[in-house]
Amino acid sequence: MKVSLNWLKDYIKIKESRETLAELMSLHSQEVEYTQQLVKAKGLVIGYTKSCKPHPDADKLSVCEVDVKTETLTIVCGAPNVAAGQHVIVAKNGAVLPGGFEIKQTTIRGVESNGMICSLDELGIEHKFHNEEGIHVIEGDVTMGDDALKALFLDDEVIALDLTPNRMDLLSMHGVAYDFAAILDRDITIPEVTIAYEKTKNSMTITTETELCESYYGSVIENLEIKPSPLWMKARLIAAGIRPINNVVDITNYVMLETGQPLHAFDYDLLDSEQIVVRTAKKGETFVTLDDKKRLLEEGDILITNGKEPVALGGVMGGAKTEVHGKTTRILLESAVFNPTQIRLTSSRLDLRSESSMRFERRVDVGRTRYALDRATELLIKYANATVRKDVAYFDHTDQSEKIIEIALERINRVLGSDYSTEHVARVLTRLRFDFKEKHGVFYVKKPTRRPDFESYQDLIEEIGRISGYDALPATLPSTVSQGELSPLQRFRRHVRQALTGLGLDEVMTYNLVSKDDVLTYVKEKTLKPIRIKHPMSDKRNVLRLSAINGLLDVVSHNRARQADAVHVFELGKSYQKSGERELLTLAMNGPYQSRKWQETPETSFFTLKGVLEALADFLGVQGLEYEQTSLENYHPHQTAIVTLKGETLGIIGKIHPQNTKRLDLDDVYVLEFDLMKLFEVSQTEFAYETISKLPSVSRDIAIVCDKSIPVKMLMATIKKQNIEIFKSVDVFDVYEGEHVGANQKSLGLRMVFADSTRTLKTEEIDQATNKIIKALEEKHQATLR
Amino acid sequence: MDVNKTIKELEVALKEALDGVEKIEALQDVKAQFIGKKADLSLLMRHMKDLPNEEKPAFGQTINEAKQRFSALIEARRETILAKKMANKLKKETIDVTLPGPSYTLGTPHLLRKITAEIEDLFMGMGYLVKEGPEIESDELNFEKLNLPKEHPARDMQDSFYLTEDTLLRTHTSPVQVRTMLEYGGAKPVKIICPGVVYRRDDDDATHSHQFMQVEGLVVDEKTSLSDLKGTLLAVAKHMFGEDRKIRLRPSYFPFTEPSFEVDVTCSQCDGDGCSMCKQTGYIEILGAGMVHNNVLEASGYDSSRYQGFAFGMGVERIAMLKYGIDDIRHFYVNDLRFNHQFKGGKS
Ligand SMILES: [Zn+2]
Repeated sequence: MKVSLNWLKDYIKIKESRETLAELMSLHSQEVEYTQQLVKAKGLVIGYTKSCKPHPDADKLSVCEVDVKTETLTIVCGAPNVAAGQHVIVAKNGAVLPGGFEIKQTTIRGVESNGMICSLDELGIEHKFHNEEGIHVIEGDVTMGDDALKALFLDDEVIALDLTPNRMDLLSMHGVAYDFAAILDRDITIPEVTIAYEKTKNSMTITTETELCESYYGSVIENLEIKPSPLWMKARLIAAGIRPINNVVDITNYVMLETGQPLHAFDYDLLDSEQIVVRTAKKGETFVTLDDKKRLLEEGDILITNGKEPVALGGVMGGAKTEVHGKTTRILLESAVFNPTQIRLTSSRLDLRSESSMRFERRVDVGRTRYALDRATELLIKYANATVRKDVAYFDHTDQSEKIIEIALERINRVLGSDYSTEHVARVLTRLRFDFKEKHGVFYVKKPTRRPDFESYQDLIEEIGRISGYDALPATLPSTVSQGELSPLQRFRRHVRQALTGLGLDEVMTYNLVSKDDVLTYVKEKTLKPIRIKHPMSDKRNVLRLSAINGLLDVVSHNRARQADAVHVFELGKSYQKSGERELLTLAMNGPYQSRKWQETPETSFFTLKGVLEALADFLGVQGLEYEQTSLENYHPHQTAIVTLKGETLGIIGKIHPQNTKRLDLDDVYVLEFDLMKLFEVSQTEFAYETISKLPSVSRDIAIVCDKSIPVKMLMATIKKQNIEIFKSVDVFDVYEGEHVGANQKSLGLRMVFADSTRTLKTEEIDQATNKIIKALEEKHQATLR
Repeated sequence: MDVNKTIKELEVALKEALDGVEKIEALQDVKAQFIGKKADLSLLMRHMKDLPNEEKPAFGQTINEAKQRFSALIEARRETILAKKMANKLKKETIDVTLPGPSYTLGTPHLLRKITAEIEDLFMGMGYLVKEGPEIESDELNFEKLNLPKEHPARDMQDSFYLTEDTLLRTHTSPVQVRTMLEYGGAKPVKIICPGVVYRRDDDDATHSHQFMQVEGLVVDEKTSLSDLKGTLLAVAKHMFGEDRKIRLRPSYFPFTEPSFEVDVTCSQCDGDGCSMCKQTGYIEILGAGMVHNNVLEASGYDSSRYQGFAFGMGVERIAMLKYGIDDIRHFYVNDLRFNHQFKGGKS
């Protein structure tokens, strides 16, 4: 809503600057989008072209003698429509036009020019508001030498409000005036309407077949003289952002801006009926709106008919057939209330959003429907020389029964945390012009029709709070005492983050909406169906992701393309499956890990990532991860494994298939994706204290040679299966394949640790245990001691 | 024979010999030569028997003292040789201490996670629980129970990604508030914050993201007031933007709160005087808040004649962008590590 300050001054006295008003508005009512002077120009006067002759030396220029009362100026003008005998806007030397353009004496092709005759465009009034080519020729009474902006009522300022959907009352100048009156604590005058009716009776009958039209008032207005509106009205419409057209159209718009009640005028002769019947459309019915477009209707769309055929799409747009035109002399003027939801559905479906539909959508003041009709009638009588038939035809099913909202002072103060007195609250309600009574600290407030947003006492508390000012309230903290803490899962996530960043991985976050084309690429369960977005914004984001690996690969690729030597990242995200949301832990490693720079850095491999995982698992108190070689599409067929714990699959670890990484212009990328909740479940919840053994453990190294294809895991299992009491652990310290062993063989260096917390071990028993293990490896795996 | 003279001569000879010794083996020879059994000094003892008895002890003492002195001289030389040897060895181990160390880098937590954790910690300190919920929500929990019935015009304000007729990607973390109130059964006070990922149908550009993070808060009891909301949000503003910050509440509209506010914090760049960052207003909008709407309380089983409270919601990206002057929201999801690495630990 663009608020003209000149207009506002019709209702309340204003002495504040527009900046002050804007500040007050934003602190007490609604956000202000911007404020501006309607025309940012200085030094403009009314001039009269006494003569206008062609320029002696230029075809398209004229030389005009312009009387500005104090002097006569010679002005060279390029507009084709300039002529003698016109009242025009003159920018004298020294005048400043929008954009800081200053007018100076110039010589144009040998003729001295002292000033400029202005077009409305040059005044900064958008072309859509006037559609004029060339200079502005003033129609109407003006006096030479007067300030042109004043004379044209363009010396106005505008405050543009960014309205929230609840404050429909501020879609009218009356509503804005009420709000400012309350904020500024000032008197307000809303003009009363007086109409002299003709003797001829309004013989229209108005009925409805649908509840979606709640009321409908119609006046028959005759003897119209269609002509331009008075200058002041045009200027106010322009300030409000509406293009002036002619007096009839302008008056309906003007009254809509005044009252918030949209009006519609039908050409009464073209209406060709003595009745208005409101009904809803049938599915598939069509209607030609006044923009000459055929509209396909749906059940529920509100149609105004003349009893035989539709003449308007109620609340949204009039019909082409009954449109007011240049020769219209009689109209049926409509002021009605339509169902907000239906108007919203119809206007948004047909993409016909207008000033009217917007107001109906948000609900109009049912107390102003009749007033708006009368006010427009009054203006038509005055500015279109119209007459009006006696009696207004109407029906009105709106609920206008008195509604009282009750609120106790105690509750007001309890909600606001304030210490307001009865007198203070009464004063605020008075400033708001609410009708109320107070008894024993309880306020009984009559719900005003001009505030359809009022539902309960909460709305009243809001009014009292905002008019009193929120600045004045103290800043305290809630007095409810409670214990703040993280859940175990929330703590666990923080531990994962702590461990992985400690291991040198950067945390990333990527988008959860991905393309269905590659949503399954790195997913283990190829039968999963991604969840689709009903109306995706693009093909790149049409499903929810099942894995974060694609996103992490994008991150690797993005950074490697920008000179990063290595990218080691993780994300704590989600997989969105039909069975529910699963929390994920995803890692990607590419390039040297913890680079030694000028010293030798071990090459990043499957085992680098595995080491990171084991360190994480150790920190989280997860023991006994098992790795099962697996072959999976889009992964390296021989460097990928499923990770399990006690038979339960936790996730996948492996190398992205080189073909895939090549497509991304990347070298080897190793990834891991775990179901975070499963990791959470097996993570240690309690740490138990164990006495640290004072006795040393003993380690024994052996080197064995066995078939290359035997996984270390199996050798270890065999060792553990020996159930040797003093055996604690075994680890691999060396792996060798090459000329010193057979072609299909490998040599493994195994380090075994033996200990007993109660006694020192004897050499013989360690030898015994070691021999037992070697023997078992020989028998089970044909391994030999090297 | 003058034993003292002989010892003196031997001592001179020893010193001379030691000066030329550079190796431990050679030192052994010198040692044998001067204090060994066959050394001149030892041989001097033979003269003892020729001396009168009363002179014998003094003679013996003189020899022994000389032997000790010689021994000390040899030891001193040994230490010198060893020290030199060590010094030589260490010299060979000279390094250039200005060479760089390996790049043992610690990873950086994502800035959004870092800020979320900071907010969580702040609120936990004030006794709030951290509650979470699913991102795929029902229309009922995301909208209807929040006073946003199907035809509510405010649904336009947050155009959403629907998955089916009545499930969607949540547009805010408010459904977690609803879930918590339902869980509590309208019977006990609520004091929670709800961090999480949310979605809106926005085209991604410098200031819009179809996916972003929110932290919402909710307090419901019998007396929590708008003044309490003010104090709480002031604490947030001070914590995130500095001790000197002030806040102001501007009336706004959200269907789930009444009254509703946009909350501004004084600009940290200009301290409220007006600058380009705050568009000359001296204030920067940081979050939305309000007193919980009665319809929301009732829909989740709380008796609105008894219970009341506040709710607020902030965009984590927005907070981060304001705090660090980040100019493009897409940075958070592109993960150019040159961006991510700018926000590490330190004291913050
Ligand atoms: Zn500033």
